[in-house]
Amino acid sequence: MSETTYTPPLTRRDWLLSDRPASRTQARLGRAYVIWRRFSENRLALVGLLILMALLFVAAFADVLAPYSPIQGDLRNGLLPPSAANWFGTDEQGRDILSRLIYGSRLTLLVVGLVAIIAAPVGLLVGTVSGYAGGWVDAILMRITDIFLAFPKLVLALALVAALGPGIENAILAIAVTSWPPYARIARAETMTFRNSDYIAAVKLMGASPFRIVLRHIMPLCMSSLIVRVTLDMAGIILTAAGLGFLGLGAQPPLPEWGAMIASGRRFILDQWWVAAAPGAAILIVSLGFNLLGDGLRDALDPKEAGQ
Amino acid sequence: MKMNGLNGRLRILSASAAMSLLLMAAPQALAETPKDTLVEAFAIDDIITMDPGEAFELSTAEMTSNTYSLLVRLDPNDTTKVVGDLAESWNVSDDGLTYTFKLKPDMKFASGNPITAEDVAYSFERAVKLDKSPAFILTQFGLNGDNVTEKAKAADASTFVFTVDQPYAPSFVLNCLTATVASVVDKQLVLEHAKPMTPNAEYKYDTDFGNDWLKTGYAGSGAFKLREWRANEVVVLERNDNFYGEPAKLARVIYRHMKESSGQRLALEAGDIDVARNLDPGDLEAVAKNADLATTSAAKGTVYYISLNQKNATLAKPEVREALKYLVDYDAIGATLIKGIGEIHQSFLPKGVLGALDENPYTFDVAKAKELLAKAGLADGFTVTIDVRNTQPVSGIAESFQQTVGQAGVKLEIIPGDGKQTLTKYRARNHDMYIGQWGMDYFDPNSNAETFTANPDNSDEGKNKTLAWRNAWDVPELTEKTKAALLEKDSEKRAGMYKELQQAVLKDGPFIIIHQQTEVAGLRGNVKDFKLGPSFDTNYVSTISKE
Repeated sequence: MSETTYTPPLTRRDWLLSDRPASRTQARLGRAYVIWRRFSENRLALVGLLILMALLFVAAFADVLAPYSPIQGDLRNGLLPPSAANWFGTDEQGRDILSRLIYGSRLTLLVVGLVAIIAAPVGLLVGTVSGYAGGWVDAILMRITDIFLAFPKLVLALALVAALGPGIENAILAIAVTSWPPYARIARAETMTFRNSDYIAAVKLMGASPFRIVLRHIMPLCMSSLIVRVTLDMAGIILTAAGLGFLGLGAQPPLPEWGAMIASGRRFILDQWWVAAAPGAAILIVSLGFNLLGDGLRDALDPKEAGQ
Repeated sequence: MKMNGLNGRLRILSASAAMSLLLMAAPQALAETPKDTLVEAFAIDDIITMDPGEAFELSTAEMTSNTYSLLVRLDPNDTTKVVGDLAESWNVSDDGLTYTFKLKPDMKFASGNPITAEDVAYSFERAVKLDKSPAFILTQFGLNGDNVTEKAKAADASTFVFTVDQPYAPSFVLNCLTATVASVVDKQLVLEHAKPMTPNAEYKYDTDFGNDWLKTGYAGSGAFKLREWRANEVVVLERNDNFYGEPAKLARVIYRHMKESSGQRLALEAGDIDVARNLDPGDLEAVAKNADLATTSAAKGTVYYISLNQKNATLAKPEVREALKYLVDYDAIGATLIKGIGEIHQSFLPKGVLGALDENPYTFDVAKAKELLAKAGLADGFTVTIDVRNTQPVSGIAESFQQTVGQAGVKLEIIPGDGKQTLTKYRARNHDMYIGQWGMDYFDPNSNAETFTANPDNSDEGKNKTLAWRNAWDVPELTEKTKAALLEKDSEKRAGMYKELQQAVLKDGPFIIIHQQTEVAGLRGNVKDFKLGPSFDTNYVSTISKE
């Protein structure tokens, strides 16, 4: 007598959640699915994601979405209140504020994207090398980091822009230079926790070079906390960029940078509030979006809760 | 890091919230200013000294002219003429070199000391010897530390004799004597407070002529006396009971330092101040609409212009210069950006000055400009930079200009900076275009003509750094003509010569003159006879009264 057991057909979900993945791909996809499930349980995080998607969409299709040119206006139509023709009114040069906001989203994304691309890898590299190597390498790299951390971020960025000259490229560079130290600190702390763990020792015994160990076995483990931190910092980066623009050191006219728009609208704040309020609201919403997204990502990626 | 940013913002937010609360609460706390006191809100952060021999700032000019006396003053009703202040009469010798002033009798300083020709001579002497920024207005007549006691001296107690080195136009000499640097100080009082100095290579006198004491002190004879000045806070003027003229109607005038236009407007609406002096167009409009308030304005001697550096080969082409003059939207700028605070004016002499040309031949005309650019071989336009100071209205005008030249294919790149950065670059002739303002140093057409049309040495080492030099505009004939106008004795003819100079700049000059500044003030309804003068040293407060 043979007993036949009925195995129900494997659903896609079960395949993803299998605790005995048959391949690396299955394991990776399974993990991604778990993260997504935890992330999507958080309503606010989804709102954040939605805001980010909307920002990407607006930036990508700015040419189609914007009703008017962001840089050509007619002085005689300056400071018009919000109306059907100009949803958010016009600024002092007679330019449509909505169109400027839409095109401004490109600048915001540019700043955020480039800063993340420049600052995160630098911070990661400095942190992991410092944490793994220890000794004098660690001492030197961390003292450099300390020096950067000793200055308030905006003040340092201001000094850099003042030296380099105003402009959006220099603002991005200045923000990137001032943002990497916290990433280095996080990466170093993470590296310290597992640099003496068994699997590192095992890789070492197999003859892996320190370079390979840092690159292939330490950096990937630092990634999740780094991504969370970078996402949470995005709001700060947007605010710093807007702050530089507000002080006239960021994007230059006629570029529709949100911070610069607030600066020029400040003069009319008593009578024509919409000139400063519209870009202010845009900065608020996008910063909020990044913060919510970062919060959700932290909950989802937290390694302490992972893998149960 | 993120928290830093948020905290900063929060702080500003809460501070402004607290401020608006304060401002809202103010009417209950301080219902209105006293009847015999006028309180003006004025940005007075430019004051660095109250010494009339050294002060050369806009707001100081108003304080000095109300607290000190001059030999002659501009006639408030017709500023192309002068009237006597301390001087009862004057005459010019036939060779045009000697000016003799007869003083009015029985006049006293605020201290009670009598006013004599000695005091006048001493005032000239100390201004020339101190050699501070405004001293050139006197030294251009050939005065220097060695000869000043001879060239400006008292013949007797009531006769002052002034000798110049060339037969200048009398109108020029008299106009220069209306500058605040020629204010008469109380010799006796100043000598009491003069400090001994050690002579050195730069400063060869053993006294400071009371310069240090006069920084905050007072030794004048105006309708008001200076009671105190606290930097960036307040200037208090008090009625001078020893004044020889019509006594002031108010007992006190207080200038409170307030920089922001919106702050001044709120204080004016609440009744904390009687006069707001630095209103932006938007706030001015709101004040004008308010039934309890009134506004007043006067054209001032400051012109705003865009200049084109002739070192730039493209800008040196005459067609390009002319085309750019057609690419400013004058009407729209006049109706919006400078509404109430300026008036379109395209020649370099401001209205109210002898010989000023009141013609605005250029209008915004893209087709015409394109035609001219095509003629210059630049049908596809070109790229050029403009240095712009981060203040209004220049940055607004620059942005508008950027849009309008864009319509003719010219790509204009704005390089913003603070005043010092842009000016340093401008003075070193490293700019392409520059937008800025030029205020008259003294109320005579030569002040502007010299800077816009004279360029004696166009080399980089040129000593005379006029605006024409700064833009490398090499014009020997105009330079000669400017000099000749200075020596023309007939006022009519002289005015005609300045008109020709203005025509030349309008037609071919590297200056796009856009507008003339209008000074504005918002007033409480009960302020009577508040009148802004044509220059910053003719804003008299002695005639003002309150109901």
